[in-house]
Amino acid sequence: MKYEFSEEDLKEIDAIKAKYPEVMPATLPVLWLAQNKFGHVNPEVQRLVASTLGLPEAHVHGVVTFYTQYYEEEKGTYVLDVCTCLTCQLCGGYEMLEYFEEKLGIKQGETTPDGRFTLKEVECLGACGYAPMMQVSNETYVNNLTKEKVDKLLDDLRQDKKPEHEKVGMPQRKNI
Amino acid sequence: MPEIFIDGQRYEFEGEHRVLQFIQDLGKEVPFFCYHPAMSAPANCRQCFVKAGQYVKDRETGEYELDEEGNRTIRWFPKLQTSCNLQMVDGMVIHTQETDEQVARAQKDTLEFLLINHPLDCPICDQAGECPLQIQTYKYGPEGSRFEVKKVHRPKRVRLGPRVILDAERCINCTRCVRFTDEISKSHQLTIVQRGDNNFPITAPGREFDDPYSLNTVDICPVGALTAADFRFKARVWEMNQTPSIDMTNGKGTNIDLWTRDNIVLRITPRYNKEVNDHWMPDEARTAYTLFNENRISRPLQKLDGEQVLSSWNNAYATLMEQLEEVKPAEVLLVGSPHASVEENYALAKFANLNGYRKPVFLRNEEKGKADGFLLTDDLAPNTNGCILLGFDELTPAEFSAEAEKAGLIILVHDDFISREVLTAGQLDGKYTVIFASNHTKTTKAADLVIPVTTAAEHAASYVNVEGRIQRTFRAKETKYNKRRLDMEMSEGRLDRYGTNFDNWVNEDNKIDCLPLWTFISNLTGYMGTEITLEDGRLIMSEIASTIDAFNGVSYAKMDENSGIQLDTEKVSKKVES
Amino acid sequence: MSTVDWKNYTPVLIPDIKNLDQIDVYRDNGGYQALKTVLTDSEKWPDRKSVIEEVKAANIRGRGGAGFNAGLKWSFMPPSDGGPRYLACNGDESEPGTFKDRALFEYNPHLFVEGALIGAYAIEATAIYVYIRGEYKYFIDKVQKAIDDAYANGLIGKNILGTDFSCDFYVVAGAGAYICGEETSMLESIEGKRGYPRVKPPFPAQKGLWGRPTTINNVETLAHVPAVINKGADWFTSIGAKNHPGPILYGISGHVNNPGVYELPTGVPVLDLIHEVAGGMRNGKKLKALIPGGSSTPVVRADQLEGITMDSESLRSVGTMLGTAGMVVMDEDTDMVEMLWRISKFYHHESCGQCTPCRDGTGWLQKILKKIKDGEGEIKDLDLLLDITTQMEGRTICALADAAAWPVRHTITRFRDEFEARCKKSVFAVA
Repeated sequence: MKYEFSEEDLKEIDAIKAKYPEVMPATLPVLWLAQNKFGHVNPEVQRLVASTLGLPEAHVHGVVTFYTQYYEEEKGTYVLDVCTCLTCQLCGGYEMLEYFEEKLGIKQGETTPDGRFTLKEVECLGACGYAPMMQVSNETYVNNLTKEKVDKLLDDLRQDKKPEHEKVGMPQRKNI
Repeated sequence: MPEIFIDGQRYEFEGEHRVLQFIQDLGKEVPFFCYHPAMSAPANCRQCFVKAGQYVKDRETGEYELDEEGNRTIRWFPKLQTSCNLQMVDGMVIHTQETDEQVARAQKDTLEFLLINHPLDCPICDQAGECPLQIQTYKYGPEGSRFEVKKVHRPKRVRLGPRVILDAERCINCTRCVRFTDEISKSHQLTIVQRGDNNFPITAPGREFDDPYSLNTVDICPVGALTAADFRFKARVWEMNQTPSIDMTNGKGTNIDLWTRDNIVLRITPRYNKEVNDHWMPDEARTAYTLFNENRISRPLQKLDGEQVLSSWNNAYATLMEQLEEVKPAEVLLVGSPHASVEENYALAKFANLNGYRKPVFLRNEEKGKADGFLLTDDLAPNTNGCILLGFDELTPAEFSAEAEKAGLIILVHDDFISREVLTAGQLDGKYTVIFASNHTKTTKAADLVIPVTTAAEHAASYVNVEGRIQRTFRAKETKYNKRRLDMEMSEGRLDRYGTNFDNWVNEDNKIDCLPLWTFISNLTGYMGTEITLEDGRLIMSEIASTIDAFNGVSYAKMDENSGIQLDTEKVSKKVES
Repeated sequence: MSTVDWKNYTPVLIPDIKNLDQIDVYRDNGGYQALKTVLTDSEKWPDRKSVIEEVKAANIRGRGGAGFNAGLKWSFMPPSDGGPRYLACNGDESEPGTFKDRALFEYNPHLFVEGALIGAYAIEATAIYVYIRGEYKYFIDKVQKAIDDAYANGLIGKNILGTDFSCDFYVVAGAGAYICGEETSMLESIEGKRGYPRVKPPFPAQKGLWGRPTTINNVETLAHVPAVINKGADWFTSIGAKNHPGPILYGISGHVNNPGVYELPTGVPVLDLIHEVAGGMRNGKKLKALIPGGSSTPVVRADQLEGITMDSESLRSVGTMLGTAGMVVMDEDTDMVEMLWRISKFYHHESCGQCTPCRDGTGWLQKILKKIKDGEGEIKDLDLLLDITTQMEGRTICALADAAAWPVRHTITRFRDEFEARCKKSVFAVA
């Protein structure tokens, strides 16, 4: 597969560059743009980003490997990031992770043979009040996980029905 | 003047200083890994801890405050400070590991951390013997290990590029290599990847670390993480002799060290000279070590019936004398060389003068566009300015070719004019051609008489770089005619110093049967009855200094003291014109 | 000790108003008034200094965990030389147990935007960058929308509200690195690099983003500013704990019935927060321990908590800190060894790898704890752990090593019996 940015992408990249006095700060946002487009930032995509921005390839590679949300290789259609950190651990995060492993027949870090799901154990996602929780493909948080919720989520995702943002509310508020 | 108190000693200073460099400049020591004087200080290794504080001064009177016992009160920084990036200020108090338990403990702690994930494979590591981690562990590190869990595994035997191999497990993440490519060579080819204890330096995927200065990262790597593909597993550091020298591959005059064992130069590393090359050297200059070992001419060669055969030195002298008598002095064309030292060229000029031959001419050896504004120059020879300062006429290839046609006997030094397509072998046919050379070339093959001469690794001689700086070499390896143990000027390795006569490790192999050019000329004039004495480089240089203005005041002692001498380049140009 | 009257507290950060995240609703409820008065009411706010002084007097202590007076921080900016200056807002919240800024992003993003603009005005910033952790995709979009709307309303950009104050406002998304919540690491990340904390000095106020003067404030800290402008520093200091005043967003998680984000004054008794505010312990279990302000703040045993309030002074008396006020509540069934190992795993995973003691120390701690957790540890390992923590603390560029060391030190000392019980019996007979 040949990785290229479209005219629109390049326009967006110019808009990103305009936010900063230098080019280097565009590294993270353009990597995001590339990942959203290609699904990952594998070595070829990293090169594309470097050449588009006129930055050293080594720099882009160093950045990609520093940040955990960038995928250095192709992942499953849906990446299931299950938090097991502190509060999630206390509230059953590992049980949820194991349940996922059992349901999908893979271990964390692996991708299902059909390429649909990649399962990952991740560090704190900043949703401790709604533990145990997870994130789907760097996007939507799924909170207060239960086995039933996991079952439903997987069924939905198999039909490409993505979860929607759950408003968690504020316990003291009535209107929001 | 501002003052600083280091381990109870008072020092004055002027200007901006960082504590670690200041301490080092005093000849004292604080251990460190990531700091390098030529690059930014990230303070990441956390090895150079000192305790830092400030004598408290009364704001109004400017006097130091005293405690009850009459000692100056010290306000200590709440934490230990890394001395590498600690800016010195007036009245600062520094305690190093020499005087402070807390500092010594902190340094030991850092070493313990560095060692837990280090493979501790010194016995098979090339860096052993010159490894800051090894040395500092012995001096400041913990005894034994408390680490009983599994070490981190990282990539090993990674070919980073054509010349550099990475063992990421040995890496202590000092980032010197990455900073080198970012700040010095500016190739930006390396980065640290991953995070935490998975960190290691590498190129972008699928890319080679082919930076023309890549091997400098091997020099500055404070562990055995980066090793030279070429030198790996060739020798232990302590088996080698380290001799200061000058790079012969271009006009920059990069200061180098030659590392020899058994009369073979095994590697070349840069030697610090702030005025010339700082701490660095180009990769291609390092591969030049082979020139000292391989394809060497040993014993004179003479052409008999169109075949070059080994000859004897006596034969060589006699033949050359005969041939010189055959031609008129005006027909003798002596060609000096920017590849030869000032002393060698001077010997040639003196020989010409003595016999009424024309003053030697010379040709530049340049490759346009080679210069990179750093350590590579268009000039491919180490001593072009030396020839100019000796007053040699510089010829263009065309001029030289015409002169060569006219000559009856040609004496060349080193220059491989045939490979450089300045001359053809045919042009040399029918005229007696003598060449003083160290290595076989197309031109030596075409010569009638080949006199093997010493290389920069075998003689002490001087070279004037493109900027007009004169610097000299030292004898690094033995020839058939000298011995390290008898030659007071040759460096000693650890085995020379501590070996016994029974385990004398210096073998007789690899000694080239060659002479310094000046020795050959001296001997030759002896036979010719016009004896001149050209004993060694040191004495020749003092003769040059007293007879040629441009070299006024130059001596080996002065060069050694000042890492070379910048010659008056004004004088250079005038001299050339006159 | 006077008790903080938290029961009658009316929220200001996230008032109970529907659709407050929409700019019109926000403005209808007095939004952007503070910015307007600051920019236009030259009697009340004659100059930038007056704004800084007011905020300084309010003693808004940084809500990101370090607790530094925000106004004082602003005053560290050098005089303008006409070149660019920046306000960098820290919305990276990644410390386990912390999930408060996202409530602001979700329900009242304009309050933060307004506070940031006032801050930018005060320090003469030419641009604002808000760095939000990449996982907060939803909230990043939310803040971007708020900023876009504010631009459209002339509240950001050239000549804000018709004054000569101009300032741009940009959102920067992180990409998964806890360390980028460390302020200088965040600057590196905004600059597009690996998030390595910077050596200080130089401090960001001297050399921050792109070598220019930069102030860094936590998102919640800035969200307090409009109210301070509107109601005055006295109002702010009258709320909550004396030395750490004002409203604060508590994030309560763990074994309580109603976990979530609560806006209350500082200095609320810890046990009130657990038993009353958060609805008490889940399943009627007993309280065992509390981490009061994110995973780096030392854990406290339940028996230490009587009378302790959520402010830096009171918490210090039991050897812990307020941190981010992200409270992790643990019930009697909690396995402290597992819990501590998980915290260590987190810090091991998140160490940037720059400084030796942190890079190698965090891994060592984690591995020993794993060994103990798996029943392979020995008593001497506990002392080794404590020793390693002293070797890490205060020895690194940033505080991640300290953050990794403290929980280990304090969890082991405060629950030592539990750790010892998990260790193997010595193979040597004790005489």
